[in-house]
Amino acid sequence: MLSNFLSNYRSVAGLIFVVLAVALVELFEVRASVYPSLLPFFEWLKYSSWIGYLGITFGSVYATVQAVHLISMAIIGGTVLVTDLRLLGVLLKDIPSETITKGTHQCFKYSLSVAIATGIFCAAGVADKVYYMPVFWIKMLALLVGSCFMFFIKQPLLNSRSHSEIDPWILRILAVASITIWFTVAATGRWIGFS
Amino acid sequence: MLVSGYYSWNWLEATHVLTLMISIGSLFIIDFRMLGWVLPGVSATAIADRLHKPMIIGFVIMFITGLLLVYAKPVENVQSLWFRIKMILLVLAFINAWVFNSRMRAADGTWDSARVAPKGLRTGAIISLSLWCGVVAMGRFIPYDWVDCPKVSNTALLWASGCVEQLNAL
Repeated sequence: MLSNFLSNYRSVAGLIFVVLAVALVELFEVRASVYPSLLPFFEWLKYSSWIGYLGITFGSVYATVQAVHLISMAIIGGTVLVTDLRLLGVLLKDIPSETITKGTHQCFKYSLSVAIATGIFCAAGVADKVYYMPVFWIKMLALLVGSCFMFFIKQPLLNSRSHSEIDPWILRILAVASITIWFTVAATGRWIGFS
Repeated sequence: MLVSGYYSWNWLEATHVLTLMISIGSLFIIDFRMLGWVLPGVSATAIADRLHKPMIIGFVIMFITGLLLVYAKPVENVQSLWFRIKMILLVLAFINAWVFNSRMRAADGTWDSARVAPKGLRTGAIISLSLWCGVVAMGRFIPYDWVDCPKVSNTALLWASGCVEQLNAL
């Protein structure tokens, strides 16, 4: 009975598990004790790893990778906006939202992979600085939330049934939440450069 | 005022960069559709038509914020090699967009539901993707000072960057 219940509500159970895990991490001050232990990793990333070396030594390579990071973020933005504005009934109203959701997801996954890979490279070059920036950690948190939201909540729900069977308000909330999260990821990323 | 105000400059630049997600995001979806990489089962002209408006809104915001950014630091920008290449690429990208749009309107609709667009439109899409990637890259290079006027001694580079003082001093 329990396994049947869990299989029906896998995403919700996963979300509750994540929220509980975060609450426990805060309750037992795990985050506060983990944070200082990450500093050696960030220092290694900048001064000893080959990506850190490339980023520090070759400014043109670093700037080019930054440009690729920006382009991949633009594509993420494009896929998110097209999907979510369709769910909100603003764009592409004559095309079924199921088609749009499925047709852009592959592109989103590839762009996210490129954005993460290039983002690691960019962070490695300034790892000793970003470690101390609150905005960097907010971006990491937003990225984690966005990825979990996309792969464990939004996509499973939208692929589970015809969108006409889902409450329109649920679709609207999904779309607004998605736009907000990915906008936060992009905006905090831009703000790292100003900090 | 735009440069000295910490938040005014940051907001302006952040808006310019974040609007990429609307303008270039929409444009790339259209180009990707022509190449059959996204939404292959959906009418290509429908995608191009419906995404035209958000794309234009994005480009208008980028144009206004871009003008203000240049207005705030006119000499640095006008004498930047990257800025000059970016402007050339922008002009080429707009010409390509105009040609692409004309070709799409002129083509008969038999290809519209095909997985990929005809060769001419696919070429236009690849040129568009390349030019806009170049525009973004050049925009990203502008803050770097590798080829700023005081650092360059090569005459061709000085000429290309419009470094009048350095050229006169030679």
